[in-house]
Amino acid sequence: MSLWLDKYRPTSLGKLDYHKEQAAQLKNLVQCGDFPHLLVYGPSGAGKKTRIMCLLRELYGPGVEKLRIEHQTIVAPSKKKIEINTIASNYHIEVNPSDAGNQDRVVIQELIKTVAQSQQIQSSTQKEFKVVLLTEVDRLTKDAQHALRRTMEKYMATCRLILCSTSTSKVIGPIQSRCLAIRVPLPSTEEVCSVLTSVCKKEGLLLPPELAKRISDKSGRNLRRALLMSEACRVQQYPFSADQDVPEPDWEVYLRETANAIVSQQSPQRLLEVRGRLYELLTHCIPADIIIKGLVEELLSNCDGQLKTEVAHLAAYYEHRLQLGSKSIYHLEAFIAKFMAMYKRFMEDGLDAMMF
Amino acid sequence: MDEYDELFEIEDQFEEQFADELEVLAQMEEETSKPAKRPKQDNISDIEHLLHDQPSTPKAKRQKSDAGVAKRLFNGSQTQERNVPSQPDDITPPSSPEQYEPSNTSRSTAAVLDISGFAEIPETPRRAVTPTPASTRVLKRPPLEGEFITVTDSSGNRVYLRQKEETDTKTADSRIVPNSYGGLGLLALPIRVLREQEAERRHQQVVEESQRLSELLVSSVNEVFAESENPEDEENEEPGDAEGRTSRLWVDRFSPRHYTELLSDDFTNRCLLKWLKLWDTVVFGREKKSRPARSDRQAANQNSFKSNQGGQNQNRFKSKVEMIEEILEAELDQHKRPKHKVALLSGPPGLGKTTLAHVIAKHAGYNVVEINASDDRSAEVFQKRIDTATQMKSVLGANERPNCLIIDEIDGAPAAAINILLSVLNRKDGHGGETGTEAAKKKKKKESILLRPIICICNDLYVPALRSLRQQAFLLAFPQTQPSRLTQRLAEISTRQGLKADAGALMSLCEKTDNDIRSCINTLQFLHGRGLKQLDSRTIQRVSVGQKDQNKGLFYLWQEIFQLPRTKRKRIGEAFEEAPGSGGGFQRFQHILHLASSSGEYEKVSQGLYENYLSMRVRDPNLQSVCEALDWLTFSDRLTQTILHGQNFTLMRYLPFLSVTFHFLFAHTHVPRISYPHSQHEASTRLLSSGNALSTMLADIPAGIRARIGQLSLTLDVLTLLLDIICPKLRPVNPQLFSSREKEQMRELINTMLAYNLAYRQDRTPEGQYTYVLEPRVEDVARFPGLPPRRQLTYQAKQTISREMEQERMRRAEQTMLQRNPVAKEEEKKSAVPKQSRNHQQRLENIVKQAIVETRPEVDFFGRAVAPKSQKSDQSSDSGEKCAVLAMGTAVGNSDVWFRFNEGMSNAVRRNIYIRELL
Repeated sequence: MSLWLDKYRPTSLGKLDYHKEQAAQLKNLVQCGDFPHLLVYGPSGAGKKTRIMCLLRELYGPGVEKLRIEHQTIVAPSKKKIEINTIASNYHIEVNPSDAGNQDRVVIQELIKTVAQSQQIQSSTQKEFKVVLLTEVDRLTKDAQHALRRTMEKYMATCRLILCSTSTSKVIGPIQSRCLAIRVPLPSTEEVCSVLTSVCKKEGLLLPPELAKRISDKSGRNLRRALLMSEACRVQQYPFSADQDVPEPDWEVYLRETANAIVSQQSPQRLLEVRGRLYELLTHCIPADIIIKGLVEELLSNCDGQLKTEVAHLAAYYEHRLQLGSKSIYHLEAFIAKFMAMYKRFMEDGLDAMMF
Repeated sequence: MDEYDELFEIEDQFEEQFADELEVLAQMEEETSKPAKRPKQDNISDIEHLLHDQPSTPKAKRQKSDAGVAKRLFNGSQTQERNVPSQPDDITPPSSPEQYEPSNTSRSTAAVLDISGFAEIPETPRRAVTPTPASTRVLKRPPLEGEFITVTDSSGNRVYLRQKEETDTKTADSRIVPNSYGGLGLLALPIRVLREQEAERRHQQVVEESQRLSELLVSSVNEVFAESENPEDEENEEPGDAEGRTSRLWVDRFSPRHYTELLSDDFTNRCLLKWLKLWDTVVFGREKKSRPARSDRQAANQNSFKSNQGGQNQNRFKSKVEMIEEILEAELDQHKRPKHKVALLSGPPGLGKTTLAHVIAKHAGYNVVEINASDDRSAEVFQKRIDTATQMKSVLGANERPNCLIIDEIDGAPAAAINILLSVLNRKDGHGGETGTEAAKKKKKKESILLRPIICICNDLYVPALRSLRQQAFLLAFPQTQPSRLTQRLAEISTRQGLKADAGALMSLCEKTDNDIRSCINTLQFLHGRGLKQLDSRTIQRVSVGQKDQNKGLFYLWQEIFQLPRTKRKRIGEAFEEAPGSGGGFQRFQHILHLASSSGEYEKVSQGLYENYLSMRVRDPNLQSVCEALDWLTFSDRLTQTILHGQNFTLMRYLPFLSVTFHFLFAHTHVPRISYPHSQHEASTRLLSSGNALSTMLADIPAGIRARIGQLSLTLDVLTLLLDIICPKLRPVNPQLFSSREKEQMRELINTMLAYNLAYRQDRTPEGQYTYVLEPRVEDVARFPGLPPRRQLTYQAKQTISREMEQERMRRAEQTMLQRNPVAKEEEKKSAVPKQSRNHQQRLENIVKQAIVETRPEVDFFGRAVAPKSQKSDQSSDSGEKCAVLAMGTAVGNSDVWFRFNEGMSNAVRRNIYIRELL
């Protein structure tokens, strides 16, 4: 518990640093006793999980922080054994069904059902329901999500679901409608800065506001990343200087260089080089949709206003294809080739216009 | 030359062998002697064969009759005779056209309608069986035919007097002179009469049959051959033709029956035959018994052409083979077997491998036993069949020739079966000196060595299962059939079937089928069957039959896709030049589609295309074709996904179109340099390994942190920065000299590493240097090549951290132990204090004392203290020393071996050893 990230994580709703209004609403929600299923969504690093844990603590008290990891083995109907890790307290259980890959439906059907079916022993002193926390719901297959629908209604008496995802677009409508959706937006730059400053203060460090601002910008207001970055800065150099290097994740740097390579030259040879870099990214466990997103951001900053819509359109098109297919490298390369062709034509047109 | 010699040698031997028999027979006055009966039966069976084989081609008939009459004695000239009528039907191979001409001369002697074996028999040069001239009236032996009277004179000599009427029957019966010893009248009718009746009947049947067939012929429309045929020819040929139209494949009808008719490459044929001949010593060897078999073989060999010519023929090729294949000649192992026990023929389908093997095996005098893919080739069955074929020999029936095992389509056999074959090949025999079948037969089946040739046939020589067989086998790769020879044969066939075809058309047919003989002939028959009388190259081009569904290998496919068919255009010439561009495009489209769909490995194919298309030299300034190609790739990816997900395999038919697209986009006249697609496999293995590293890291992260971190956030946000964070600047001094701030920093660092399940492990590089590496290996996951390297800790720093971490870990473990059971710990501490005694006191005496103190007083059955015990204790209380000795005596005994259990010590058992014992 020594990363700042973990050390200074707020544990109760009252201690949350930002979106205090939402925290108060959540508190009311707990107190009024009519607790619905929740769908907590928002970008990564906004504090969804923190908020959920605070909520659980509000529900069950500090006992919920005694966590244990359980390894569960579920036998699929095809006799295939699925091993999955759950993190559980006495009051809740947290599962990431997408760990099971294609078999996540079985996890939903077996694991969650068994948990949901069992009653709480002491319903007089405790809440009468347990909480099942499902993370990365957006990576669930459609089958699994459909399996979830009925479970949500049927075991309402004994169990509440809290679903956690980065976006609702991949959560099917029926589930969305069964949940109270809570959006946790990214903190604003000021909020990030204030959090960073207060953490540094607790550490006995002095963080220049300029650096805090730069860190917040570089991290894209992702608080997790911002805290890690500031700690990395601290390791790199202390006392802080306002213009010191802020370390970045390597893959982002690599992706940026890839985007630059695409813009600087458009030829099959370059496409081949880019393919190598894409493979490199993919083998470092960077998901293809994140690659395509990062590429688009970099490419958009490099191209003319006219092209921007087209590029965004292309990216969306190929990202969709990518979800449908299984070989992401084809789709990524297809996107890049299309962009190259478009960009090249645009540049040549521009040159012609200049010449004549 | 030896073949030719043997032909006569056999007859001599025949005399030798059967002379005594004949004498005995003659003296015993028995009509039904062996040599007399045999021919008759054989001849009858001959005729039956002929009758059965009416619809078949003359050649087939001839073949079958040979097989049926293995033991026939006179077949040397007989078969020669019988060949004659069928002569026009024979298709001479282009290489040796000379063989049939001489046989025409003997045609005049052959009876016009007589196809039974009877007619030829008298013409055989028989000496043994006609010992006396028939003209004398008084005979020493019973006359061969006719009625006679036995007269014994006073001196006891018996003579035979011929009866008079024989003269008029003699002309008719002279043909069966050698056969009839009969006439004693053991049968109700003499055998001669029976035979005549039988012959008459057969003759009648044959005539009727021929008349019927000739009528049939008249009704059927075939002007080409109608006029020049005599009735016999009609009988031979037309039934085959008439029936062939409905049932028989031309491929079977016109398949070669003889060595000289083979279309395949001469050299290959010769090599195989030569190899097979190497077995002669061991198979036919010096054994008397096997000689007749050999004679049969010889006769069978020669039956299609004149013997001396055949001899020349063989002589010629032998010398050639001697020159070229000296290896084959030289090596015979200790069992007189050739070095390679197995011949392995390999080549694409339709070149006549199986035909060659069969023809040659028959030619060399073997009885062919074939195992092919249609048979059960599981290990046990295979073993049994190999043993049966190689160790045994048919005793009953006419097939007394040795077996030759032909294993067809061996590339499809399971590896277990091939291993069995190998073990059969490598069987070692204890008795090296003994050779021959009899020696082998005597032994048990398991032990006997292989004494029969085995010919294996496969399409793909490089199937993994064949790897070990390949090293031991005599490999013969089949070259392509020469198109000229194939065309000539096709021309013969088509003229014979009344199909007018020009050479160009046939050439293009050969080209289209890749010189596949079977395919060519099948196509011809098909076209003929559709009523086509005229064949030109245009028809051939248009027809879509004759194309094989043949697997050509991935590289060939990729090559075809990325290369324009330039050479083809040249070869075919006018036909393609005339065709406009679109027509060529259609051809190419069909070609690639055919290739791609027959390859079947769409996944591999598309990967190969993906890896190679960017390095093709195609002018594509606007990246249009690249984009299109990638769109196709994504399409096929989605298609595959849909197929696999929904098990919708009907969509698979759209997959080969990817190859077609790539062909039209990227095909170039240059020879493409194609590399095998590795990258996808590499990527997946690397992805797997980095995934494993991450999951091992995650697995042992404490639950408090684990709850907040997923694999995704770990890779995207945490890992790189975390690796930065755990590389602080540390002064390279002893950690005890750190300032309090530095100590704090160190502590935090160690806490972090423990919390995230990271550790340094000492590792030795191949150069012999020690390094500390981070475990689990997440550095590989976080770091990318080509980026500026991050700061690394020094070896000393890592060593310090590692040591400190160990300590911290131990401390924590202790704490958790304490937390878990604090009471036990307390007790342990308390109890540990009094028990502690100084080292020098840890002697046996003291231990025994302690033990005595602890021993509870003995009690009797009712729980009362036993009296003697108390006395003893009283005694012992006098002097502690004495007591100890006593106790030691009781506890340890007087033996010099004792043990003391020390926890954590290994030297629990002790013994006094003197130095003298060791010296």
